Amino acid sequence: METHAAYKSRWLPWVLLAPTFAILLAFLYYPTLETFRLSLYRVAFLGLRKKFTGLANYKELFTNPDYLHIFGNTVVFAFFVVMLSMAVGLALSILANQKVSGWRVYRILLIWPYALSPAVAGVIFLFMFNPQSGIVNYILGATLGVTPDWLTNPTLAMMLIIFAAVWKNVGYNVVFYIAGLQNLPGSVLEAALIDGATPWQRFWKITFPLLSPMTFFLLIINTIYAFFEAFPFVDLLTKGGPNNATNILIFNIYRDGFEYYKTGMAAAESVILFIAVVFLTIMQFRVGEGRVHYGS
Amino acid sequence: MKRLATVVGLSMLIGFAFAAQKIKINFWHAFGGGRTAFIERAVEDFNYTHPGIEVKAEYKGSYRDTLNAAILAAKQGNAPHIVQIFEVGSQMAVDSGIFVPIQDYVPAQLKFQLDDYIKPVANYYRIGGKFNSIPWNSSNPILYYNKDIFKKAGLDPNKPPQTFDEVVQACQKIIASKAAPKCITWPLHSWFVEQWIAEQGAMLANNDNGRSARATNVYINSEAMKRIMKWWKGLYDKGYYAYTGKPEDWDGANQLFVSQQAAMEITSTSDVTFHQNASFENGYTLGTGFLPVPDGVERNGTVVGGASLWLTKGHPQKEQEAALTFLLWFTNTENMVRWHKGTGYFPVLNSSVKVLDWEHWFTRNPAYKAAFDQLLQSKANVATQGALIGPFPEVRTIIENMIQEVFQGKDLTKALAEADAKADKALKDYNSAVK
Repeated sequence: METHAAYKSRWLPWVLLAPTFAILLAFLYYPTLETFRLSLYRVAFLGLRKKFTGLANYKELFTNPDYLHIFGNTVVFAFFVVMLSMAVGLALSILANQKVSGWRVYRILLIWPYALSPAVAGVIFLFMFNPQSGIVNYILGATLGVTPDWLTNPTLAMMLIIFAAVWKNVGYNVVFYIAGLQNLPGSVLEAALIDGATPWQRFWKITFPLLSPMTFFLLIINTIYAFFEAFPFVDLLTKGGPNNATNILIFNIYRDGFEYYKTGMAAAESVILFIAVVFLTIMQFRVGEGRVHYGS
Repeated sequence: MKRLATVVGLSMLIGFAFAAQKIKINFWHAFGGGRTAFIERAVEDFNYTHPGIEVKAEYKGSYRDTLNAAILAAKQGNAPHIVQIFEVGSQMAVDSGIFVPIQDYVPAQLKFQLDDYIKPVANYYRIGGKFNSIPWNSSNPILYYNKDIFKKAGLDPNKPPQTFDEVVQACQKIIASKAAPKCITWPLHSWFVEQWIAEQGAMLANNDNGRSARATNVYINSEAMKRIMKWWKGLYDKGYYAYTGKPEDWDGANQLFVSQQAAMEITSTSDVTFHQNASFENGYTLGTGFLPVPDGVERNGTVVGGASLWLTKGHPQKEQEAALTFLLWFTNTENMVRWHKGTGYFPVLNSSVKVLDWEHWFTRNPAYKAAFDQLLQSKANVATQGALIGPFPEVRTIIENMIQEVFQGKDLTKALAEADAKADKALKDYNSAVK
């Protein structure tokens, strides 16, 4: 059977690919290369003036305690966001996958937060967690008699932006996990049931391994989310405060680049972020390969 | 029939030719909401009365976004003619080299307008003795207070606290009498710190606040700063001072005051109109007073905050002249009166003040008066002239981080010394990049 040669001419595929490549070149490859180049300069005023400084920006990044603090925050933030949003997403989708009355409503409600734009979600959290006039402290004060200063305490502030980012992304994980759960082969689970496996055993020995391709896919997507898409929560809720406690790399890149006009530093930080995420993704593929079952 | 078509065609062509002759001027600003509408109306008026010129005003987001957009546009060779730039961006604007020093281009017959600026404003915007830009929206911080809460707490509602100690004493009464859950609020913003430094006659940077030569040293570790921070930390520790926890949260501070959770708020005079309306809507009596100052220090005055209008380089002479015509019209006596009444920003021309006096505006609107008196009573010296620091936005974040560190219990001397070193380094990096 012919599996290739859908196109008779040799150049037609290239012509059809050309628009995609043109866009990738202009909006992805060229800016990426430009970022690498700029990270070697000290740049003033968004590029009006620049001076070659070699690796000075990188040296600054790895010796300045403020930047090291930001790297630490980023790792903590990304770790908890990925772990929590996937664990919570899986737990909720197993519940939502039960055949109970009103399951349609539950599923919609679970997916809903994902449909909000992060900016809107950030503003909602800002209102809810306002220490003096927010609903959360109103309820906590009325029931438990405590009103925590959510945004002035470094630990609470970090917990809050992690919570916001997890809340926003759980819906995405639920969609994919429910899809995965519905495609599980019923016969295997039935056989396990007949053999007397407990629900706990059925989950860990059968459901979870069978879901591994989905988990692997979501792990990568969630990692990218945690590193690149948390900006609005930090910008709207804490602005990196108190005292840099919630300043993560993606927010600091924006701040250095567009508020302080240190384009060179911002470029160097982008390169670090880029390398970190590429490295993590490669690692995940390496480690994942042996453990993920794609079925037959 | 053919002839008719020719006539119509020709007249259309002529029409186009005339339309094309209009000089198009682009004006980028950072005012959204009601202020956009205000600017649009003024621009319409101008276009109607100046048929040869067509000004197009565009809202470009925050002050920072506007400056970024202007620099990028200039890099690509199509800069807007007029850009609104915030006061702390002045040194940056000069260094960017994309603007012309405006004073050199003002035609002789209109030079009088430059001499008409009220002194504190002229002081701030003259860099090296020259106006580099046309002052526009100018403001100061003042004290807003809730007279009803003052009465409930047994305080004189017509005597707002004038000094740091008086604020503390008022707070003791307000909190003890449970007249309000919190006493005072203001955004955790470096701007207020800068004002209190000027009030003490101290400086924020060397070389006369960066006025006599480029600043090379930021003074964060100073006696003036210690006085401010000790007082502020005391208010915070006793639960008198409230803020949302987010730095630079202007709306959050307004919300605390308007919802009557705090008895006093320190914020910009540009919110006078907002606060008057809010007090009416929420049913409390608003009072205004001068910015409280440290005890035992003579009140020196405040620094003008806000923004000015800059003219970019590299346009044909006709366009540059048209842009200047608009700029001087837009900020003339009559328009400044309108602008002040509509927003609460200062009328920055002496002649506008005269018009307002003649209308008894200030006697009829005492809230505006407190704001304006404070500005006029400011002494003209290097301290109230305000600092010119290239990386001012970054220095502001350094100061705000320091304040939060001190709130969390870090030793004041250590926090100030560290912040000082960071600010000096930021300044050094900036200076080496622009030179």
